[in-house]
Amino acid sequence: MDGKLYDGVTAHPHDVRVKAADGRIELSQATGWSDSVEGNLLKRMDAPAGTLRLGRTDISGWRLMLPAEAEVELAGLLGKHERYGRWIDRFGLGPALAIGAVVTASVVAIGYIAPHWIAPHVPMSWERNVGTAIVGDFGTIRCRDAKGQKALEDLVERVAPGATRGPDAIKVAALNVPIFNAAALPGGYIVVFKPAITETDSDALAGVLAHEIAHVRRRHVTEAMIREFGIGALIRLFAGGVGANAEQIVALSYTRDNEAQADSDAIAMLKRAGISPKPTAALFDRLSKLDVKAPGFSSEFLQSHPLSDKRARKFAASFDPHASYSPALSRDDQDALFDVCRKSKASLTAF
Amino acid sequence: MDSHQEWAAAGDDRAIRFTGNWREYLPIAATNALLIICTLGVYRFWATARQRRYLWSRTQIIDDTLEWTGTGKEMFIGFLIVIAILAPFFLFIQFLFPALVARGKLDAAGGILFLFYIALIYLGGFARFRALRYRLSRTYWHGIRGGSDDPGWNYGGEYLGRYALTIITMFIMFPWATTRLWNSRWNAMSFGPLQFRASLNAQGLKARWALVYAAPIVAMIAAFGLIAALGIGFKPASGPNPTLGGVFLVIILLIYVAIPLATLHWYAKFFRRAADETKLGNLEFGFDATTLQWLGLFLGNLLLAVVTLGFGLTYWGYRNWAFMVRHLHVYGTVDLADMTQSKTHAPREAEGFADAFDVGAI
Repeated sequence: MDGKLYDGVTAHPHDVRVKAADGRIELSQATGWSDSVEGNLLKRMDAPAGTLRLGRTDISGWRLMLPAEAEVELAGLLGKHERYGRWIDRFGLGPALAIGAVVTASVVAIGYIAPHWIAPHVPMSWERNVGTAIVGDFGTIRCRDAKGQKALEDLVERVAPGATRGPDAIKVAALNVPIFNAAALPGGYIVVFKPAITETDSDALAGVLAHEIAHVRRRHVTEAMIREFGIGALIRLFAGGVGANAEQIVALSYTRDNEAQADSDAIAMLKRAGISPKPTAALFDRLSKLDVKAPGFSSEFLQSHPLSDKRARKFAASFDPHASYSPALSRDDQDALFDVCRKSKASLTAF
Repeated sequence: MDSHQEWAAAGDDRAIRFTGNWREYLPIAATNALLIICTLGVYRFWATARQRRYLWSRTQIIDDTLEWTGTGKEMFIGFLIVIAILAPFFLFIQFLFPALVARGKLDAAGGILFLFYIALIYLGGFARFRALRYRLSRTYWHGIRGGSDDPGWNYGGEYLGRYALTIITMFIMFPWATTRLWNSRWNAMSFGPLQFRASLNAQGLKARWALVYAAPIVAMIAAFGLIAALGIGFKPASGPNPTLGGVFLVIILLIYVAIPLATLHWYAKFFRRAADETKLGNLEFGFDATTLQWLGLFLGNLLLAVVTLGFGLTYWGYRNWAFMVRHLHVYGTVDLADMTQSKTHAPREAEGFADAFDVGAI
């Protein structure tokens, strides 16, 4: 049969006669030139219907174009056509899809579940090192009024006696940041932003703090961190470029189960401390309504703590009309706490 | 044997044609999408290779098609290499930045962020150059490939410098920067023994760039005219404020219509001029897509994705490539006997950098 040959040296096409002979193809020209190529050096290239296009694995640019009928004659010489990539072709499309689906589902499942089992076994001292490296002392954005700080620590002690002492002590700090938020950070740090102090009463703040303390004690923070650096990084790596995600600061998020558990713990803590859960319920109720009415406002808090009427109701339902509740803080301590950020000048607006 | 032959590339018959059709591409699009989903995205490198093999092989130039010889494996490995180089750097910044913010060292955090963006712009330019170089080195025609021996480090620096000036001058210098960078990029590239020659300048592009600045003003006048015509304008505020809806309308018109449209209008001319001013040996190029045709492409892409509930996304690369080929013209002659194999070094890291910085097109 007749074919056209590019030798890979120049762009000039040569007319050649092609013959298949045991394990090889033999090329010849009227001028007397001839050549033979071993079948295992040949590979099929993509070409429009009606042509068979062959390349060589040892000479880049070498191409032999033949009519499509040549396929039958050369069938024995040419291996299987690479279709989806060799690692997929090995199994075939159907099985590869099935295997891929199972492996992917397992990786994702393990990536989400495993941190829950690993987290409790991570020594607190390791986490503390990470936390301290990231958090430091908060510099000028920390509210440093001594009386206010004492009141804040008293509030933590009130809901979780002994929590601010010992090697695994919880360190609580008020930050002069104008966003309604509170968060648990790696290493047992809990931060409360200014509006969460000035726009609530201390009973509701006790509920919020109890919730964050639960996150720390249940190792939810560690869990979220492992998840973020494990499966989170893996997914972002292949789903998009690292460049696009480079600006993203480590965003910790808890699972729904973790949130529910922290709520239950918080309710139990409030009960033991004799603090009414109603102000916390009212706060959550207020925030969940804000969420609907004004998207954007306090969205930071809502992102890390998805609020719903259900959560507010859960706190409200734990109110016991026969119990005797007392305020979380004395009048003086409430005032001191309210003023905790009064003297700090630096304020973080956006970063 | 005839050893010397010249091909007239001009004439009634277009020298460059796209011969693919969407039905023929459907099995590739469908299986690519499925495999990408089932492999957590890892397959996307092989998907890209398959897509390009199809598109290149359905692009006829004069008497033969293009050929894509890049593989999914080399792109995957290239990506892993780049990640291995960049990951420590990104991780370090990821820890350093919040650590500085948490310590209240906002100036230092800002400085780090500034340096980070500088590095990002530099590497972005470098990535763009390397992607073009890689693509040419894997593109064959008549058994001959393209490439470049320039590693692109200097181009990254030039890219950073020109765009820094652009930003400092509130983007007034943008046409100047973009056209000069086009030249620097293409002048470093070759195909076979032939060097690309680009001599694009901002001439004829400045007026359209000025329009990008004028567009918001025109849109604002149009929007207020519309509000006045609808009679929802400046009534004394009683009850819910009716002007709020009007202001909203203005913002929407500005952000989503006027500025992108003016920018597209600029790019349409940029590509026409760029093709006119770029040459390869005795070959000259032309590009004839108008702003409306570009708009048609993008709106078509969006519509396709919406109507097919997302599956249409798999056709964006196909549609974009077909659009480029259909509007591209090639004129002149090419001497096949003198067109010898490229001696440029074939890069091995594939498009890792472009991938990592998300600047890859098709």
